[in-house]
Amino acid sequence: MKHFAFHWLAVSSLFLGLLARAETRPQYGGTLRVTMYAAPATLDPADSRVPDSFARRSVASLLFDTLVTWNTGHAQPGLAESWQSSKGNQRWQFRLRHGVKFHDGTALTSDIAAASLRLANPAWSVRAEGESVVIDCDEPNPEMLAEVALPRNAIVKRDSEEKVSGTGPFHIVEWQPGKKLTLAAEEDCWRGRPFLDGVEIEMGRSFRDQATALEVGRADLVEIAPEQAHHFPAARGRLVNSAPIELMALVFARDVSSPDEKLLRAALELSVDRGSIHSVLLQGAGQPAGSLLPTWISGFGFVFSSQADLQKARQLRDQVHTARVWTIGYDGADAVARLLVERIALNAKDAGLSLVPTAVGASDLRLIRIPLASSDAWTALEGIAAQAGLSKAKNNGATVEELFAAEQAALASQRVVPLFHLPVFYAASGRLRDWSLRADGSVELANAWLGAAK
Amino acid sequence: MTFRRKLLVVFALTVFLSVASVALLVQWVTRNAFEKTENLRTAALVTQFQREFNRRGDDVAKRVEAIAASDSITRMATALNGTSSDFAEYFDLARVMAESHQLDFLEMVDARGTIVSSAQWPAKFGYPEPAFESISTSNDQSPFLKLEELQDSTAMGFFAAHAIHAGDRSVYVVGGRRLDKNFLLALDLPADTRVLLYQNRGDHFSPELLLDPGAGTSVADPARPAEKFAPLIDAVRKYDQEISGLVDWTSDRADEEVFHAIPLRGVGKDRPLLGILLIGNSRRSYVELKRRIRDSALLVGGGGIVLAILLSSWASARVTRPVEQLARAARDVTSGNWNASVQVEGHDEVAQLAESFNRMTSELLAQKERLLQTERVAAWRELARRLAHELKNPLFPLQLTVENLIRAREQSPEMFEEIFRESSQTLLAEISNLKGIIGRFSEFSKMPQPQLQRVQVNEIAEAVARLFQAQFIAQGREPIHCQMQLDRHLDPVAADPELLHRALSNLVLNAMDAMPNGGTLTLRTRRDDGKAVIEVCDTGSGLTREECERIFTPYYTSKQHGTGLGLAIVQSVVSDHGGRISVQSEPGKGTTFVIELPSNVGALPQATLSQEEIAGKLPV
Repeated sequence: MKHFAFHWLAVSSLFLGLLARAETRPQYGGTLRVTMYAAPATLDPADSRVPDSFARRSVASLLFDTLVTWNTGHAQPGLAESWQSSKGNQRWQFRLRHGVKFHDGTALTSDIAAASLRLANPAWSVRAEGESVVIDCDEPNPEMLAEVALPRNAIVKRDSEEKVSGTGPFHIVEWQPGKKLTLAAEEDCWRGRPFLDGVEIEMGRSFRDQATALEVGRADLVEIAPEQAHHFPAARGRLVNSAPIELMALVFARDVSSPDEKLLRAALELSVDRGSIHSVLLQGAGQPAGSLLPTWISGFGFVFSSQADLQKARQLRDQVHTARVWTIGYDGADAVARLLVERIALNAKDAGLSLVPTAVGASDLRLIRIPLASSDAWTALEGIAAQAGLSKAKNNGATVEELFAAEQAALASQRVVPLFHLPVFYAASGRLRDWSLRADGSVELANAWLGAAK
Repeated sequence: MTFRRKLLVVFALTVFLSVASVALLVQWVTRNAFEKTENLRTAALVTQFQREFNRRGDDVAKRVEAIAASDSITRMATALNGTSSDFAEYFDLARVMAESHQLDFLEMVDARGTIVSSAQWPAKFGYPEPAFESISTSNDQSPFLKLEELQDSTAMGFFAAHAIHAGDRSVYVVGGRRLDKNFLLALDLPADTRVLLYQNRGDHFSPELLLDPGAGTSVADPARPAEKFAPLIDAVRKYDQEISGLVDWTSDRADEEVFHAIPLRGVGKDRPLLGILLIGNSRRSYVELKRRIRDSALLVGGGGIVLAILLSSWASARVTRPVEQLARAARDVTSGNWNASVQVEGHDEVAQLAESFNRMTSELLAQKERLLQTERVAAWRELARRLAHELKNPLFPLQLTVENLIRAREQSPEMFEEIFRESSQTLLAEISNLKGIIGRFSEFSKMPQPQLQRVQVNEIAEAVARLFQAQFIAQGREPIHCQMQLDRHLDPVAADPELLHRALSNLVLNAMDAMPNGGTLTLRTRRDDGKAVIEVCDTGSGLTREECERIFTPYYTSKQHGTGLGLAIVQSVVSDHGGRISVQSEPGKGTTFVIELPSNVGALPQATLSQEEIAGKLPV
């Protein structure tokens, strides 16, 4: 009896083990349902009219490929098999991969790739040279690899009707701008057919709706607002977050115009109690920021203090006879932004400053979220400068000291007051497997597959 | 104004004043009644407001109590009682609880008065609750009013607080609902009544703080600008008590509203003035009622006056007719008709007056007859006395002369012839004297009727002056200076130039006799009230008062050798011309005779004598 029981137990364990192995093995098939907050009106990654967002980056990665990919400080081959720089990083030559076809069946050529890059970067001199694409810059650009890895530099074939076609693992089946995107697996993808048969993406869904959709099983992958991540129940799905890749900051509409304004801006920066906001309004998500770049990218972010100093703020304020009322703008659809602005106005009031929140129209300063363009420090800093209206940082040698000086100079302009570095959160149902986040906050779904719900 | 018109006016005024008094009385009563009703309505509204306030407050208190009793709050209170001061976990709790319990305001406040979670202003966590001291120290759990500061405004609301005791420290749940338009609209208001609410913030009145449930925005209503409430609001803030005031929106008084301002206070030791409840009553109904009363009064008063005029005309005619008859009769008596009488009707006072008047006139007539008789007798006696006196003087010499003749014939026949001649002359002289006396009396009795024609009085006066010019400066007497003061614009009069000349001559002679030692004779003419006035003034010895009274009596004279007929003739002439003569004199200060002649030119026939003809007929 004991022997029988032992054998039965052994056979059962072996069977369960085989079952477990079968479950971890990728499976083809199934349609992944994704929801997202952003509602882009176009799928063209180079269209600058659509604001950058992590969701847009994720969608772009499903449809398009870049010449190289950038991960943790290193470039990986993409559509370009190899590359080389010359003239002190002023000229970059990318040799294209063979046998790559666009979704419409057109083969990838250097002309198409050069045209795509020219459209995305009017300042670049891009030309096709045989099977290579050559980029000439006005100045040495050591961060060229990180730049070409940006989603906006994805290689896109545009026809006469402005329809876009990519080389990514999925092609477009149905596209309702700003509402819904249906994708199907690209059988002839140069990277191999994805496990998923298709992806359905619903756009413009609030975070609350997305969480509900995940809970009731209508979505497999949703975005989670950072301030709500803390309360996300583990039973509802797998919660994944990136490194802090989004900068939340106050950006002034104009440069400092007088010494008094300089004092007032400094007083405002010192009055903001980032700690309270971080712990309560953001529910501990992300990190209070005194720098533009997070420490994990720059390595020196902690040097810039994010501590409030109300006493000093008042002293600065008192040095100015009259402080005019500032209007502070925010995205009316962003609930947490409204709370943050109200709190900042309260903090400012403690320092003797007057801020009037407004969700519409122009304002003196604005609370904005800037998704960092890349995990590459210079590229990220340039992205911040572009969105905050700062002058472009000059990158000659790409040393840490120069990066520090560039960031210090950007902060010294007092056009931007960094507040927080926020991660991006995604939650997935238990049946979504082998998905991950890239360093730029986008979702990597090329190897994802759908299994049985856990 | 005639007696009848006076009566009319009196009657009309009486009616008008009566109606006006009644209208004023009715208005006064109406106003009192309206004010009483208004006070009652205001009191009812205040009571209703208090009741609704208490009801809402109780409702809020129950909800707050339910929240305080929930597990979430209990867990929070327990956690905060420990060392934890992490508000992050409870940040959204107030909002969720407020939504589930349908509260507009909800805050969780820790034992230090720090806001743990706020539904109305989520970003305010960690900040102190301004009213914490009042809330935590108050033992009264009843609802209270509170001004809640929000991000972009300030709202007033009913609040209730509940303390949760967990360990040594307490956590407070402070919840409330807005005191807003919905609350004001929920009040069951009587017609023509409305309620507004003013939030007492700042030092000065601000239209934005006025909550008017009847308007989209009270500020935007141009017909009823909120600034009109400023005096009332300021008065309540200044005197800190209930005050009523009138708000006039337009020039039409019917648009006026009486507002009763009630201060609303919060909790705490000072009980700050948080708001002012304005209960307005439209005066339209009162003003329209007042106008109706006024219009009715005017209509009734006007009709009453017309009726009064008609009735008083009839009544006054009845009353005044006998009086007018009396007046007419009195005028007749004045004009010499002594036989005038009044018809007596009825037995009232006017009839008695008429009867007395008739009796008076008959008595006067009888007395006049008796007086005339007496005067006639006296005149005859005087005439007899004068005649006796006049005749006695010549008769006495006649008697002596005849006795001398008889005595001479008996005792001295030789001288009889001579005495006879002398006596004859004496007798003839005295007889002549007697004839003269008789002639003068005859002449007086034969005063002719005046032949009236247009006469210039100045010319008559100048003619008389010229006539006596030689005698004024005659030898053997003191000279008399003659002054002519004639009004050259004197109108002609209807008169007999000869008789007038004679009268003036008599007055001049009389004046000359009064000035034996010389003096000044003044002839003066002037106009007075349509009459021609002739004055003859002398500077003689003057007359006594008694002489003045009797001087025009026939045969009365103050002279040694006068007949007493001169001035009687003058008076007769003046009287025949329809005029009158008077004398003004004092002893030693001269005498002035004043003749007043009516014009009467209009009564003359067309053909009258020219001035030259008149002058030609005058004696020179």
